[in-house]
Amino acid sequence: MNQPIRRLAAALFVAFALLILDVTYLQVVAGPRYRADDRNPRVVASRTGKERGLILSADEQVLAQSNADPNNLQRFNRSYPEAELYAHLVGFSSVNFGDDGLELVYADDLRSKRDLTLSDLLSALLGGDLRPKSIQLTINHGLQQIAYEALGNQRGSVVAFRPDTGEVLAMVSRPSFDPNVFLGSQAIAAREDLLADPDEPLANRSTNRTYPPGSTFKVIVTGAAIESGIAGSDTLFPDSLELELPGTIEVIQNFDRQVCGNGTEVNLQTAFRRSCNTVFGLLGLQLGAEALALEAEAFGFNLDTPFEIPVLNSVFPQPADFSSDLPALAQSAIGQRDVRATPLEMALVAAAIANDGIIMEPMMVSRIFDADGEAVSEAEPELLQRAVSPSTAAIISDLMERVVASGTGTRATVPNVRVAGKTGTAETGVGPPHVWFIGFAPVEQPTIALAVLVESGGEAGENATGGSVAAPIAQEILAYWVQRNG
Amino acid sequence: MTRSAEAALLLGAATIAAFGVALVNLARGDGIDAQVALTFVVMAASFGGFHIAVRQWSPDASPYLLPLAAILTAIGFVEVYRLNRALASLQRWWLLIATLLAVSLLLAVRRSGLAPLRRYRYVFLLAGLLLLLLPLLPADWAFPLRGFEQNGSRLWIRLEAGPLRLQFQPGEIAKLVLATFLASYLSERQAVLAAQTQPLGRYRLPELRQLAPLVIAWAASFVVLVYQRDLGASLLLFSLFIAMLYAATGRPVYLATGGFLFGAGAVATWMVFPHVQRRVSAWLDPFADFLDTGYQVAQSLFAFGSGSLSGSGLGLGSPDRIPNAPTDFIFAAVGEELGLAGSVAVIATYGLLVAVGFGISLRSRDTFRKLLAGGLSFVLGLQTFLIIGGVTRLLPLTGITLPFMSYGGSSLLANFLLLALLARVSHEERT
Repeated sequence: MNQPIRRLAAALFVAFALLILDVTYLQVVAGPRYRADDRNPRVVASRTGKERGLILSADEQVLAQSNADPNNLQRFNRSYPEAELYAHLVGFSSVNFGDDGLELVYADDLRSKRDLTLSDLLSALLGGDLRPKSIQLTINHGLQQIAYEALGNQRGSVVAFRPDTGEVLAMVSRPSFDPNVFLGSQAIAAREDLLADPDEPLANRSTNRTYPPGSTFKVIVTGAAIESGIAGSDTLFPDSLELELPGTIEVIQNFDRQVCGNGTEVNLQTAFRRSCNTVFGLLGLQLGAEALALEAEAFGFNLDTPFEIPVLNSVFPQPADFSSDLPALAQSAIGQRDVRATPLEMALVAAAIANDGIIMEPMMVSRIFDADGEAVSEAEPELLQRAVSPSTAAIISDLMERVVASGTGTRATVPNVRVAGKTGTAETGVGPPHVWFIGFAPVEQPTIALAVLVESGGEAGENATGGSVAAPIAQEILAYWVQRNG
Repeated sequence: MTRSAEAALLLGAATIAAFGVALVNLARGDGIDAQVALTFVVMAASFGGFHIAVRQWSPDASPYLLPLAAILTAIGFVEVYRLNRALASLQRWWLLIATLLAVSLLLAVRRSGLAPLRRYRYVFLLAGLLLLLLPLLPADWAFPLRGFEQNGSRLWIRLEAGPLRLQFQPGEIAKLVLATFLASYLSERQAVLAAQTQPLGRYRLPELRQLAPLVIAWAASFVVLVYQRDLGASLLLFSLFIAMLYAATGRPVYLATGGFLFGAGAVATWMVFPHVQRRVSAWLDPFADFLDTGYQVAQSLFAFGSGSLSGSGLGLGSPDRIPNAPTDFIFAAVGEELGLAGSVAVIATYGLLVAVGFGISLRSRDTFRKLLAGGLSFVLGLQTFLIIGGVTRLLPLTGITLPFMSYGGSSLLANFLLLALLARVSHEERT
């Protein structure tokens, strides 16, 4: 009888050995992961109430701060004085939901390192700085306010860059939300409400939503045409009422169902100025899928965009997708069908033309500085890629200036300033069109390039066009900026 | 090891409990108070009393049992104190009551030995089944003894007489009573059960009549499972039956049949009961449904991970974040505050205690005592494995207590009685 009892005992000892292996795994191998997990209440408890650094705009406006708790001087309360204005960029640091936005990306710098662990005490003894660091953005607070107000209660986005450095001057997404509600006692209910809102206030439309770019995509088609030598400003195209699409009974018409010029022939300059779909559809067919896709990628489509916060890729379909679908190619050339772009991407397109064909890497954090105000690191402008040659950029810049001077974008005109731009009115198939304006100013020495997007026509609804809805918003922003920065 | 060495170790365990309480106080900034002395006095009185009773009435008992149980009780008590002081002062009372009962048991069998336990086996069978079924008493009838439900399982009875309200989990005692019955029954029938005379195709089975206890075992654990919705107790009872049947006969066919029956039962309950499905999915991925079904286990894993090698120190972690920390999840609290060092030490101590129990069983010459000690050691070891495995996600979670460490009167009482039985068996085998 001892034999089976020994076996039972042996089985239990194997089981106990497994327990020891298991706790060793939990506490040593997987331990660091569990210790750092955002859902671990110890992590959250150690974080809340701790001091975090400031987040400032370029002109030193406070966007996020930690103030000592009046009831408990050991604790700090985080707050976001500008509330909705920077919600999608700054994000929040919440007990319930962890960190988001720049609060998440720069959490290591912003957090106080004082947590009484042995390694921190050691590093303090060796002269390490445990105080929280602060970050300063490239965003201009005045411009951000103007952009936010110019969009009004319409769903949409504004993205503005300094074209020669890639610094973000303004980045707005509406509707927005107040990040302070994520810190309060009503955080969970507030988040439920925001998630349930059909207007999706939590979505960052500037970087995380893509839209058909419509006629603003003609900037890229023009680039491809000039670079490949197929066409120049003065090249003549047939000026017809409609473009018959090969192999179908579908046609492309111009916006107002009219001809573009005199009804017989029209040059590229006029076609661009008046945004003629017939001409650009034909140009797309002449260029071919390969050349169009290459040019779109030169402008940043289909590529990961390096940026402080995540950016959704803008999409131009693969050339193979068009091999048996030439109508789709023609429609893609006017920014419809499956072409999709973020407002950030279209602002980069405008910035590329403004900066002699070169796209600078977008950035919105200019420096990190310590509690003494000493810079810990400063961001340097980085070249991302060349979109077009300087001469091509100059030609397109001229075409775009004519759009504002006497084309579809006249409502972006700023008195005594040379403004270049391109409008876009993208059909969605359902509901009113998404309307665009991309542009830059002053043409002779651009200091700002931007993209304005208003979803579903905004307040104008079905009647909205890029020229009537988006261009006036761009006008306010450009006027404000150029007035102060030449 | 001498009796004096045993006494010294028991005193050491009481001192560790007192120091632990002092550390918890200091960690909270409360300073040293009467709790420290009170803990020392209760621990010393409890284990001292047990020790003296063993010296008096079972002088040849193994000296290793009490010190191992004492250190586990001490560590468990400190964590319970750290989590909930009100529970800790109740636990002190339970400790004294449990000791009193264990001492009474030793006193009662001082002359007769364990023979009466063997003789009245059907009384024990009946008592065991009754105890198992007690929680099914109506919750709202006039009789002051009522069953009730807690945390989704109907495991409790409550005695209400005027201002007195006593709650108890009779299942904890049932496992001792049934182990006694089985040891007695099997020691007598082992030859018949091992014979396997009944032909079934190529195989031979024992006489079907002899299989009755197996059927009763399966039925009893199934009743517990279905009516009381308690996976842990059911698995524990069933494994105890199968293990003792195997120990008595040496026939692996019982293990295989038992395994098959349990497997079939497990699959069936998994299909029928949504709460079993939730337990299993929480086991497979506690983070998939973090805020609901996976919450408990996930919090336990966070506690272990945060404990790391050396732990946060007593009173310095956050084991209070784990639901049910003082009872089912007490081991996670140990893992966080004493670290890997503490959790491995505790598992090793259980291993030693179980080894001492099996050693007593292996050295026994009498079949009844051999099976009794073996069965009790097995059920102690298995219960420890199931609950520690449950909180470390090695196994699906089953709501049972960790012997000696978890808060709870029934559990403490049952395990002290188990200690007394093991001590008595080892005494009788040496004289």
